[in-house]
Amino acid sequence: MKFLKNFLVVFSLLTLPFSAFAVDENFPNDKVAIWGDFSGITLDVKLIGGAPYDPLYEVMIPIWEAKTGGKVSILSKKSHFELDKEIKQDIAAGNISYCVVSNHTSFATQYGDIYRDLNGIVPKDFLAEFVPLVLDHSTVDGRLVQLPQHSDVSNLWYIKSIYEDEDNKKRFKAEYGYDLAPPETLEQWKEQAIFWSDPPNFYGTQYVGKEEAITGRFYELVIAEGGALFDEGMRPVFNDEAGQRALQWFVDLYNAQAVPAGVLNYLWDETGLGFASGTVALNLDWGGWGAYFNSADSKIGGDVGLVRFPMGSGGKRGGWSGSHTYSILNGCPEENLEAAASLIWILTNHEAQMHEARGGKLPTMTRVWKDIASEMDAEGNAFMSDLFSTFSASMAEDAFTPPLIPEWIPFSNIIFPELQAAIVGDKSVKEALDAAAKETDYLMQDAGYY
Amino acid sequence: MKQIKKFAFWLLVLFLLILICLPGIWIFVSAFRPNPEILSKPANWIPDRWTIHQFTQMFSINGYVSVPAFKYLMNSVIISSVSTLIAITIGMMGGYAFARFNFRGKNSIFLSLMLARAVPGISLSLPLFILFAKLGIINTSFGVILVYVAMNVPFTIWLTDGFFRQIPKEMSEVARTDGCTRLQAFWNVELPLAGPGIGAAAIFAFLLSWNEYALASIITRTVHSKTLPIGMMDYLDEFTINWAGMCAIAVVMIIPALILTFIVQKHLVSGLTFGGVKG
Amino acid sequence: MSRKFFSGPFILILPSILAIGFVIIIPLIFSFYTSFTSYKLTRPDSLFNFVGLRNYERLIDNTKFWYAFGRTILFLAVVLNLELLFGLGIALLINKITWGQRTLRTIMMFPMMFSPILVGFQWKYIFNDNIGLLNNFLYLFGYESAIPWLIDKYLAMGSIMVAEIWANTSIFAILLLAGLLGIPRDPIEAARVDGCNSWQVFKNITLPFLMPFIFIALTIRSLDVGRAYDIVHIMTGGGPAMRTELIWTMIARIGYKDANMGFANAMSYVSIILSIAFTYYFFTKLVAARRDLGQQ
Repeated sequence: MKFLKNFLVVFSLLTLPFSAFAVDENFPNDKVAIWGDFSGITLDVKLIGGAPYDPLYEVMIPIWEAKTGGKVSILSKKSHFELDKEIKQDIAAGNISYCVVSNHTSFATQYGDIYRDLNGIVPKDFLAEFVPLVLDHSTVDGRLVQLPQHSDVSNLWYIKSIYEDEDNKKRFKAEYGYDLAPPETLEQWKEQAIFWSDPPNFYGTQYVGKEEAITGRFYELVIAEGGALFDEGMRPVFNDEAGQRALQWFVDLYNAQAVPAGVLNYLWDETGLGFASGTVALNLDWGGWGAYFNSADSKIGGDVGLVRFPMGSGGKRGGWSGSHTYSILNGCPEENLEAAASLIWILTNHEAQMHEARGGKLPTMTRVWKDIASEMDAEGNAFMSDLFSTFSASMAEDAFTPPLIPEWIPFSNIIFPELQAAIVGDKSVKEALDAAAKETDYLMQDAGYY
Repeated sequence: MKQIKKFAFWLLVLFLLILICLPGIWIFVSAFRPNPEILSKPANWIPDRWTIHQFTQMFSINGYVSVPAFKYLMNSVIISSVSTLIAITIGMMGGYAFARFNFRGKNSIFLSLMLARAVPGISLSLPLFILFAKLGIINTSFGVILVYVAMNVPFTIWLTDGFFRQIPKEMSEVARTDGCTRLQAFWNVELPLAGPGIGAAAIFAFLLSWNEYALASIITRTVHSKTLPIGMMDYLDEFTINWAGMCAIAVVMIIPALILTFIVQKHLVSGLTFGGVKG
Repeated sequence: MSRKFFSGPFILILPSILAIGFVIIIPLIFSFYTSFTSYKLTRPDSLFNFVGLRNYERLIDNTKFWYAFGRTILFLAVVLNLELLFGLGIALLINKITWGQRTLRTIMMFPMMFSPILVGFQWKYIFNDNIGLLNNFLYLFGYESAIPWLIDKYLAMGSIMVAEIWANTSIFAILLLAGLLGIPRDPIEAARVDGCNSWQVFKNITLPFLMPFIFIALTIRSLDVGRAYDIVHIMTGGGPAMRTELIWTMIARIGYKDANMGFANAMSYVSIILSIAFTYYFFTKLVAARRDLGQQ
């Protein structure tokens, strides 16, 4: 009965850790500042919305307006999937004359050439501050179409106390023959998840179960198992042994009831809130929830541990990664470009990234990685120090983007229903992957890859 | 025996009432409760905390307004009433023409108009969007009104046609020999008699415009034109959904419709059947 | 002839035709054209990339589409029949009550005030496996496991049907009630004197009289079946594993998310024909039933 008893106590408090913050309006820590007199200019923008995103806008945009004399008109603010739909409609109607838009490295390739190359618009010395690899991922066909705000990659969070309990250790050893410790491999992760589960009160782990979310999870498990989605000629190969092992992992957890029954309807909020409610032992998630997981608002505050993404049989870790970014559209009038660059600057500068990092989001600026680590060390915040050292290791060693091709989302829409079909048992793992591979083959042929 | 039968009958009625009302009442109650209480487990059946927080948020004049419900309400009121008014006016003209005149292709025109209405919104949404964007009427109340007029006209024609046919031609002719123009005769004699049918068509048109989502979600973009059903989606964020807020805006949406329906429900019944069946 | 044609009736109908032509016919012509191209939303040039019948050929080969099509027909058949049945039951029941009928009628129409999008959210929460109203209710009676209403093979479709039926039974009830109110008393009393029981009276007198009303209700409803999209879109989005995929959710995903509008519009045409066929069928039935009634 106690499962997610306090699911939504957590829920309503969610907005608290994401509240407004104070900044020094002179941005003393920024080496580069892009100001200007933009009075008379109104920038039309479309932004991603939601509790983790709004505070930044609420603080930075008024400062920008006061200092530059420009105005920001937010045409729409919605979730990324909705924004994606809206942008596609706008392209179809030729209605893309606004200036700044939220973007994502996994989505950007779909939209063709609607974006301006930021080289030449954003000063070089500001670009030099960013992690080169992340800028690389933001580049499509040699054009820097977006400037990254923060990155995401996932690692495994766990409830510490249950791993320290002597009784649990004894029982686990007796059953599985090795010492209980946070999982090192996918196999151990599965075994431990099954060990912890006591449905419907407590679950071993969980995964996001639909849309691009499960596609991405499957993708990183395929890599961890030593496989690949596509071969060099971009032909689908995910239905090989490695792919089947990866999908089998999802199926086994579901069949063992080690994940909640509704998991196929879960997206990021359900898994994040579920873990914070203290009824899930192991949770694969990005850093952005970190400060919140460990806060007093979460049922497991002070009891949260973190390990690197467990290793697959291929000797690799998962590391599906992407960055939330801002782009400038071609339709933005020439005279507004400087203002647009300035607005992007204030939303991605050192001060902005430090604020986001304090919540656990991963910075994209080389200097912020160092500065946030030393700030956390100085505060004696071992949890956050650990968060950044773990995540910086995975950003450096494991992170990889999905194939940066326009077909990524259509591909995802082909494969995710098949993954679900295998998980709920409508199809065997092999059947599901074969079916998805066949359809993907058509998709890639049509797109002219071979 | 008769007693038992009567008891069972009322029990059945009560059960049905609960079945019909409960899911709706839950929305009303949820609008006045803090989020953690609504969706807790085990359920908190009897609210122990009431709050009008969501409503003050929506309608607050000072401070940060998360969802500008008042603006959405105004858009909804304007769009729904204007589109209903126009649809009724031109639909009635059409209905009158079908009832009073004989012309070539009458039946096929009538049927085509009805069938045009059956086109699902999802199939229409994109081409409509592109057309409106090219004409620059995207994200305007005018655009939405135009769409709703077109959606409501066929049904109005159908109902009013039935009514006008019931009214003997002689009545209008008598009025005209008394010196009325055709328009005056229509206004003073035929229109009042068709009242219930027009009322029924109006309430249907209004409810449809008031609740429509699929098309409005595409042709409205910002607070300039978003209606309440679209505004409701503002409570859906990247990571969370504010269910209490959504319920609160739902209440704002339901109450006017409920009041209106209660007022006209008598005409609704006679209007619908008379126009439809006897036509 | 032309002068006569352009007088009176034509002028009166013209505004209606213009409105429908502009909002429905022109967009339909455009989407019909795109269904012969490889039009991708994000590639405006592809609008002129004519591919002939390719989209339709692929449609015919696409088993997923035909599954969704079949599911949609099944969904409509079940939902419309049950709504009719429940609506009839409620109408008969309320017709018997003489006291407080006006209030009861308004209560009966309560679900009609709910926007389909709201109905979707509402039932999504009721059927939530975790914190949903229904599972919480079952816990009260000691039921210990969480039923995954929106996941299970049969329950998922059933749950959506429940939501759809809840939202739309009212319209049948109100129309059939109107029909019942109009039934003349004499034949029923005469039949009773002749020794007919309640069932015989219902079958031989009430039901034939109600037939036109039933067809009106079905016609009105069939105009709006496409609105079920809003409900399904919110409740499951067609998932999991396409168990609740209807033709409309499929169009929305392929058209907007995959941006593959040419293909989506080819599907749209099948869905339009489906909707029109339903409406046409009920409408002709209605006309026939009217004629019968007129002859009696």
